Amino acid sequence: MAVNQKIMPKKMKKKDNIAYLFVLPFVIVFLIFNVYPVLRTLYLSFMNYQGYGIPKFLGIENYTRVFKDKFFWRALLNTIKIWGVNIVVQLGLAYLLTIIFSDIKYKLRGLSIFRAMFYLPNLIAATSVSFLFKTLLDWKYGTINQMLMAAHLTNSPINWLGSPHSAPYVISIISAWMWFGNSFIILMAGVQGIPKDYFEAAAIDGAGKWKVFSKITLPLIRPITLYVFITSLIGGLQMFDLPFLMADGGTAGNPSGSLQTVVMYLYKFGFQTYQVGFASAIAYTLFGIILVVSILQFKILGSKED
Amino acid sequence: MKWKKMVASLLIGLMVISTVACGSTNAKSDSGSAKSTESSVKKGDTSGKKKLVVWTLAKDLNQFGDKYKEKHPDVDVQTVVIEPADYPTKVKTAILGGAKEPDIIVGEPQMLQDMYDAGLFEDLNKAPYNAQSYKDKIVNYVWDVGQDSKGIQRAISYQITPAGIYYRRDIAQKVFGTDDPTEISKLFADYKTILTTAQKLNDAGYKIFASDGEMNYFSGDSAWVKGGKLNVDQARYDYMDLCVNLYKGDYTSYAAQWSTPWYQGMAGPMPILKSDTNVWDTESLKKAEASGQTTEVFAYGLPSWGVLTMRDNVKTTSGKWGVCSGPSNGFGGGTYIGISSKSERKALAWDFLKFCTLDEDTSNWWIKASQGDTVSLKSVLQAHADDKNDVYGGEQMYKFWLEQANGIDYSKVTKYDKAIGDAWGTAISEIKTGQKSKNDAISEFYDTVSSTYPDIKVDRK
Repeated sequence: MAVNQKIMPKKMKKKDNIAYLFVLPFVIVFLIFNVYPVLRTLYLSFMNYQGYGIPKFLGIENYTRVFKDKFFWRALLNTIKIWGVNIVVQLGLAYLLTIIFSDIKYKLRGLSIFRAMFYLPNLIAATSVSFLFKTLLDWKYGTINQMLMAAHLTNSPINWLGSPHSAPYVISIISAWMWFGNSFIILMAGVQGIPKDYFEAAAIDGAGKWKVFSKITLPLIRPITLYVFITSLIGGLQMFDLPFLMADGGTAGNPSGSLQTVVMYLYKFGFQTYQVGFASAIAYTLFGIILVVSILQFKILGSKED
Repeated sequence: MKWKKMVASLLIGLMVISTVACGSTNAKSDSGSAKSTESSVKKGDTSGKKKLVVWTLAKDLNQFGDKYKEKHPDVDVQTVVIEPADYPTKVKTAILGGAKEPDIIVGEPQMLQDMYDAGLFEDLNKAPYNAQSYKDKIVNYVWDVGQDSKGIQRAISYQITPAGIYYRRDIAQKVFGTDDPTEISKLFADYKTILTTAQKLNDAGYKIFASDGEMNYFSGDSAWVKGGKLNVDQARYDYMDLCVNLYKGDYTSYAAQWSTPWYQGMAGPMPILKSDTNVWDTESLKKAEASGQTTEVFAYGLPSWGVLTMRDNVKTTSGKWGVCSGPSNGFGGGTYIGISSKSERKALAWDFLKFCTLDEDTSNWWIKASQGDTVSLKSVLQAHADDKNDVYGGEQMYKFWLEQANGIDYSKVTKYDKAIGDAWGTAISEIKTGQKSKNDAISEFYDTVSSTYPDIKVDRK
């Protein structure tokens, strides 16, 4: 017995070591492709670097430049504006569909088919989506304007992507169209995880649809909502492809810079004017903003759960 | 247990090897691939062809590559065409990462200074190239564009790209009573005169331009940045006023450059596109046509490569065009060819470069193959000076382009031009569409320049 006791921990120890070997490949790849670029970007954010030559140390100058730069803040505001409208529409649609599909009275069939259909826009590449909508929304020759005018809803074509008052919201709606299916699937999964007893009990007690949704569904899927919100926020603040492809003048984000997001602004400095140090500082400032907002969101939404 | 250990070790080994292979520098992976390709060529191709890799943003080099292969069957020229927007980044990443390929790289004037500064191009002044001995063969401004800030030759172009005004001779005869290029150029002598010309054409039922950006290639008398200071000369303001007045005065047909209606204007009548023209309503479009709401465009402002654009689009108006000089000597674009500083096949690359840019036979061939592109070899331009182009009523185009090219001042070009020019374009767009007042738009322009280039001193006027 005493002998066995001595042998056991040795075996355990051997097994542990093999486990380390199994995760080693991932760790190596992670260190090279994730950790190193992240640290290198941090290092460069304190440097004056044009992408070649020896970086020169600047201290926090790049960061003070970011904070003083009104175009950075305008880009941030544009990003928040585009994301803000997008998340309202995206989650609103996803919740609406969740209510409909989770209602035990409706007993809607074909959930899997609808789920696939709603998710389809998410599978289309952003380049294709932007090409599609640029064609549909063209000022002079777009199908949307053609339909609106045929229905006499407007007398002259609307310059959807040419006006700073409409262009950001157009991007928001397209983005919401692309992502509501994704949110719907996640929310539906959350709802399906709620025991049916609650809904049945509520139905027996005579609770209405709104009561069921607000008192049972919503509180029980709050962690899922928090997840959707935070992932959407992180993705939203990093928005690049759609506005970049649909804006006039590339990273300038025209009309009037209204489509210039923070990452487009970063791209302008990193890959067009080759101010890599400043671009790195923008990246870390954005990282800081996302971190702070995510913590706040987590605290606000998470605390209610308790 | 042993099996488990063996499988685990094998998997780990594989992962580590693949990771190292992926994580190695471009230099290693690229040279590796180059070596493997070369060896495969040697194994698979008994002729043992020499390889030359060309990265270009102009499709022209595909044709140059094929022509070179015709003359040199022992060389396999592999041409890769990359989108211009991505080109500088891709080339920089590859070469600064130590990649031995590409051997030949190119650039357009606005991106070249940055590429020179990054050390991507080989010094062509040194032996065995001794490029300076060819200096007198090439049009002066093209030679200057190929030099870095220290005067070292880094690239040479096979073409010149001076800008001119392409105008309709038949309309000129009707409205101005002459189609002589010298007389018509007086109608474009300065921005005020251009507005008067626009008014006259409008009164006669024509539009001076399809878009309001046609004078872009002629804008500015001096560089955007001089001695570290932002320099907005009077010609820039005049150009701004011209664009705004052309837009507000309804003097253009509102077709964005490079859009379908813009090309349509080259072939003859096109509908007048106003913001309230419903092009989808057949009846209202017919009504518009019946009431004369179609127009013809008088002129386009384009560099010499516009000859090729016009060639493909003039259709029934062929022969009715002429070309004259604009308000200043401008130019636009041009593909400059150089050798990658990291290439291991520099001798072959230099031979290809000479073939494309300094060889009279190639230049003569290119004039025919491109059906009218304007080459940079002086001797060939002079030899073709008397060539008449039927699209332009028999005008002697090469003679004209050479004259225009001789007046180009390359010192106007800086590495800041793209970003500052875009910001100025945004300001013009905001003023003409009424989104901002002139003062606000210009103030925003100054802010944009200060933000983009903090090192440039901005004196607000």
